[in-house]
Amino acid sequence: MGELILDISELKTNFYTYEGVVKAIDEISFSLEKGDTLGIVGETGCGKSVTVLSLLQLILPPGKIESGRIVYKANGKRINLLEQSEPFMRNVRGNEISMIFQEASSALNPVLNINTQVSESFLLHRQKELCESVLENLSERVDKSKRFSRLFLRCLNYRYKKKLRKAENNLLKHGHYGRLIKKDAKRLTIDLLASLGIPNPSEVIKRYPHELSGGMQQRVVISMALACNPNILIADEPTSNLDVTIQAQILDLIEKLKGEYKTSILFITHDLGVIAEIASKVIVLYAGALVEFAPVRELFKNPLHPYTKALLNSVPKLERRERLESIRGNVPNLVDPPAGCRFHPRCPGVMDICRSSKPEQIINRTHGGQVHSVACFLYRNTKAWYEN
Amino acid sequence: MNFLNYIIRRLLLLIVVLIGVTVVIFILMALFSPAQRASAFITDIKQFGDIDSIIRTYGLDKPVYIQYFNWLKQIFQGNFGWSTTVSRPVIDAFKFFFPNTLELALFSAPIIILVGIWIGSLSAVHRDKPVDHFTRVLAIVGWSLPTFWFGLILLMIFYGYFQGLFPPEALGYKAHTFVNSAEFVRYTRINSIDALLNGELWIFVDAIRHLVLPVITLTVVQIALVMRIMRSSMLEAMGKGYVLTARAKGAAWKTVIKKHARRNALIPVVTVSGWLFALMMAGVVITETIFNRKGLGWWWARAATQLDIPSVLMAVLFNGILFVVTNLIVDILYAYIDPRVRLG
Repeated sequence: MGELILDISELKTNFYTYEGVVKAIDEISFSLEKGDTLGIVGETGCGKSVTVLSLLQLILPPGKIESGRIVYKANGKRINLLEQSEPFMRNVRGNEISMIFQEASSALNPVLNINTQVSESFLLHRQKELCESVLENLSERVDKSKRFSRLFLRCLNYRYKKKLRKAENNLLKHGHYGRLIKKDAKRLTIDLLASLGIPNPSEVIKRYPHELSGGMQQRVVISMALACNPNILIADEPTSNLDVTIQAQILDLIEKLKGEYKTSILFITHDLGVIAEIASKVIVLYAGALVEFAPVRELFKNPLHPYTKALLNSVPKLERRERLESIRGNVPNLVDPPAGCRFHPRCPGVMDICRSSKPEQIINRTHGGQVHSVACFLYRNTKAWYEN
Repeated sequence: MNFLNYIIRRLLLLIVVLIGVTVVIFILMALFSPAQRASAFITDIKQFGDIDSIIRTYGLDKPVYIQYFNWLKQIFQGNFGWSTTVSRPVIDAFKFFFPNTLELALFSAPIIILVGIWIGSLSAVHRDKPVDHFTRVLAIVGWSLPTFWFGLILLMIFYGYFQGLFPPEALGYKAHTFVNSAEFVRYTRINSIDALLNGELWIFVDAIRHLVLPVITLTVVQIALVMRIMRSSMLEAMGKGYVLTARAKGAAWKTVIKKHARRNALIPVVTVSGWLFALMMAGVVITETIFNRKGLGWWWARAATQLDIPSVLMAVLFNGILFVVTNLIVDILYAYIDPRVRLG
């Protein structure tokens, strides 16, 4: 078992709407290993996106993170992200944990060109490095020339240090400096886009989002997330609006980048096929609750929770010609979720206890020694584990 | 290059539209009988016998297309006929009244647009907080104030209790005499600007004092409109995906608002602002009448009630051109803000 990079426990987020309190996610616990890909599966509205938005604390009022712990471990330190201040979180977002959004066309700002949008990440998180490299370039140039320029450089150096001390975020506003830094950021942007396989990047960065194709837009969105080489990449249905060939390209790209940058990935999707392809472990969410956690092959081979089983049964298969099954009933309204197990009104194996109390995660290990857990009373007796 | 192309295309289109405007106005005019139109040239009741000779002199019985070209020629020569309301040629009256209206619009429009955008985004950013509730109540109050009533209240307060603080008309007596004397060069005919150009600060102050009340009357009502539009479009923009993307990049909330949300939110506001400016230029009849500011609205309101047809025609032509040009400016601003427009 590898080192954990992210450990989320009992995370709870509510939305205070006019209809009542929407209990969007209810005490979800899971963890992500370093360099691993964790898939999050579930229907629309089951709390996949809310989970990851809570993780980055991007939930806006009326939403509120009620309780829980999000322990992020990096550089040997363990930090509970929920206890951190907003400026600290700003430094984490996009820098250490970044996110790819579902619809590239709406995730890009229509009135700003690609360069402005992608280089923004560099300008936010790599300012010190950019300043230093700009200064280095300047000093190289100055060294070759006369003595009086050396004086100039010393002045410049002095000014630079003073400004760095004064306000890191305001350096950009200092005319000449700002321009040099932006130029440097542009160079980085071109390199980044080229590494993502975008043809002719120095032309592309001048364009606006509407002038690019869907696949290109998605690549740009990915490039924004990868700009600062994050430790964790959250992909929120990055392929849901693309056609299959582009989808395959994007998945390949993410796979390749994962190998290159040693990034851990949280991959959200409702597409089980995509999960099978990219994730190594999967968590299944239903109506804001975590129902099952398993390694991906185990999940497909031996699904335990009745919901997971039903979900897998509703995927069309070529070798099976009978009528496609659907899950009876409807997704519950999260303002007033069912008591006990949230799946019990739709569950074929419902028991009395399911209606009254909430099932705990029951943890077991597969034959290979991997963890497989399920929140269901059917498995209270662990002997029943593999008999189903 | 794309942007420049767009502007050139729009300018070429402008010419076509302007020709269309003159055609429509001429058709309106051609609906009158020659005798009716000839009466527009009569300045004295004794001239009624000359109608036939007027028709012949001005070619009012010629074919329509020849008349149209004659009319165009006259317009280009600045010959719009005689305004009976103010007893001088229409073109002179226009030159006299136009700067007063322009001055009013030039002072009101920036206030309306900037303050409206500012309050609107403030209210959207602090949604459902006290600031938002307060500005929304103000907006509703402002928008439901009838201009004439609000103007009269201001008039009552400032002419009744604080006499002489903000006087009526466009200039005080002393300043008016000085402005029309030979010492004062009228570069633009706009009092306040001319005063600055001539270096006469006291005239500038006088002009501003005469502007305060009409500007308040105009702005209070229209800020409410701009503010409400800005608020709703800002709220819409703040809910968009790109705002979330920017926040996920680690940008500060303030940067997100300024750089990402506001520019998108400005698009509908630009339309309304252009429209408001054009409406103001087309004559703010009530405001100018209440404060006795002799501007276009003041003149045309009288012209319309006294059947001063040449003046009214001038008003129609001016409004047509004004709206076409304002639309062009709005479109160019649009294209500047939103790159998607440049394609079309």
